[in-house]
Amino acid sequence: MSFSERLKADFSTMTLVLIPVAIAINIVIGQIVSLLKLPVYLDSIGTVLVGVLAGPWAGALTGVLSNTIWGLTIDPNALPWFPVALFIGLVAGLCANAGLFKTWWKVVISGLLIAIVAAIVSSFINVALYGGITASGSSFLTAYLMASGRGVIESVLATSFIFEPIDKVATALLAWFIIKGLSKRYVSRFPRAENA
Amino acid sequence: MAIIAIQNLTYHYPQTTQPALQDLSFQVEEGEFVAVIGANGAGKSTLCYALTGFAPHFFRGEMSGQVLVAGLDTRHTPLEELMLVAGLVFQNPGNQISGAKFTVYEEIAFGLENLGVPPAEMRPRIDRIMALTGITDFANRSPYALSGGQQQRVALASILVMEPKLLVLDEPTSQLDPIGSREVFETIRAMSKQGMTVIMAEHKLEWVATFADRVIALANGEIILNGPPAEVLTSPLLIEHHIGQTRYTTVAKQAQAEQLWPPERALPVVIDEAEAGFRAYKK
Amino acid sequence: MPDNLSLYIERDSPLQRLNPLTKLAISFSLILIGFLGPGYWLATLLFICVLVPLSIWGKIGPEFLQRTVRLILPLALFLFVMQSLFYPGGRTVLWRFWIFSVKLEGVQFAYLTATRLMNMVGAFLLLLLSTHPSTLMTDLTRRGVSPSLTYILVSTLQIIPQMRNKANTIIDAQRSRGLETQGSVRARIGALLPLVGPLVFGSLVDVEERAIALEARAFKAKRVKTSLIHVPDSVRQRQVRIGLVVLTLVMIGIRLWPL
Repeated sequence: MSFSERLKADFSTMTLVLIPVAIAINIVIGQIVSLLKLPVYLDSIGTVLVGVLAGPWAGALTGVLSNTIWGLTIDPNALPWFPVALFIGLVAGLCANAGLFKTWWKVVISGLLIAIVAAIVSSFINVALYGGITASGSSFLTAYLMASGRGVIESVLATSFIFEPIDKVATALLAWFIIKGLSKRYVSRFPRAENA
Repeated sequence: MAIIAIQNLTYHYPQTTQPALQDLSFQVEEGEFVAVIGANGAGKSTLCYALTGFAPHFFRGEMSGQVLVAGLDTRHTPLEELMLVAGLVFQNPGNQISGAKFTVYEEIAFGLENLGVPPAEMRPRIDRIMALTGITDFANRSPYALSGGQQQRVALASILVMEPKLLVLDEPTSQLDPIGSREVFETIRAMSKQGMTVIMAEHKLEWVATFADRVIALANGEIILNGPPAEVLTSPLLIEHHIGQTRYTTVAKQAQAEQLWPPERALPVVIDEAEAGFRAYKK
Repeated sequence: MPDNLSLYIERDSPLQRLNPLTKLAISFSLILIGFLGPGYWLATLLFICVLVPLSIWGKIGPEFLQRTVRLILPLALFLFVMQSLFYPGGRTVLWRFWIFSVKLEGVQFAYLTATRLMNMVGAFLLLLLSTHPSTLMTDLTRRGVSPSLTYILVSTLQIIPQMRNKANTIIDAQRSRGLETQGSVRARIGALLPLVGPLVFGSLVDVEERAIALEARAFKAKRVKTSLIHVPDSVRQRQVRIGLVVLTLVMIGIRLWPL
């Protein structure tokens, strides 16, 4: 199958209808979680879900759109981070293609892979745009690391690698549980059903 | 000419062993109003999907036999071509709002835009259908801000405006209140009177008795009865297959057992027949 | 609660009547120039000398300012506090208390980042407040953007408020039981799952029927789609758009040149 054919197959009517729902899931759960002051974000469950069921490109699009809408309606600070959301969907889709969304321990590996990529991309944006200190709570740790004599990039990466894995493994597992909770007949409608 | 011709249709959803439809054969003439009745899981919805090509095109699964709709073999005709011939309206009104449009007027135009109808031609068609379905007043409202009954009429209008030859309805009022149901039924009846062929899966048997030219009863994916409403709706088979009967039939049957209904008289399915029967006995 | 997430304010003004692509070009060139253009005060100038006058021209001045400030203020405050205290290159100490010291470089950097973000948020808001999403999408589709993409965008704007309404009911229930602050993490999650579960699964299960409804409206028909709404455009606006692209490239070029 050529790339454009694959893309066409991925963006089936089911996918087109799923993506807005997934974005709403991202935003609604993300808001509830932040309200409950849990130590995670969990604002990409929908993105990972789409990545698994409809492939990396649909996942990437879901991430970018979630981020943009979150940024324009809730917190504009989210806007410059859209590449992170893009890569979360992309990597989730690639992991699923590689069969890493079939059993729980493989899903944990997927979560870690997503976390690594997310940490690298976000560190890059962080350093380029904010000089290491962003508008999020984890910046206190970055600031502490920098104050204790470490370099900017080192401190930012270290912070990301502490905070990302917990969140992304939890996100991947939750997305996987949701898919497991859906009927087989329903999941089979999606273009990448065999990945779930 | 028959607008629908089904021959030995058997259909399995993916990953199932029990067929959802089993060896169905029937025809529907142009302009006919056919009601499909049956208990939950009898295959009513699946039949609606088979008539519009969603089974097997959308649901995949296995299909044998043949479904001809307006001469098109559904298995070998792409879904988008079948949509021009057979329009589908189903139960949940909210799920039929496309989400692509912000006002009711644009919502109804959505199907026409997809079909490539020139804008100048759209407006008269939309205006006519909105008047017919009684939703002209909501033209500039958000489709999400309407009641269930209003939304269902918008869904109906959105399909009718595409001018299909055949209207397939899957329990269109099952999630509506009595007022909403009546409004939707009246609209469907008006369409039927204008010559539209209508196939409607429905469990409100009193309505079926007043509307339908013919009734098909399904049980476990098979046709158990196929004939005029007065005949099908009074059949004891309906009780046996948990479909039930109209309240007029039930009352008259009870009356018959207590010698309050003329023994030679057929059991009623509509209120007028019931009234006439009881009056006749009084004399 | 509104029926959709559209920010559009209906006003009769020349800005509202501009072709959506022209407004899109204005917004994106402002954002790009703000971030990548030369000069410390550039983003500030763009906001005060371009965005504010444009919003007044569009008769949406007060709404524009109010929304921008409301979105940017909390973020800006946080940035100032963090950067002035912890900016890595900070040497010039402005004032000192306890173990903290506020450094000039940090304040300057925070100001630069905050104004750039304000310029970006303002540029987006100008577009979204003055353009009905339907007009924007119709115009983009006519210009060759995939109808699938515009469908996703519009549908998202309509679905989020519906989901949020349902979620608000859940949050209110949690609040009335004091669950958002009290109890262990485990208890809080435990109380939430049975409430969020049905919301998530319900909306996912609906996807199948909604996809059928979309197909029933011939969305996937292999025909050239038409559009009910006509979105006007002009040669002059086309020239303006080309001009904006050139200007953006020049501004970025000036910034990169001495490199």
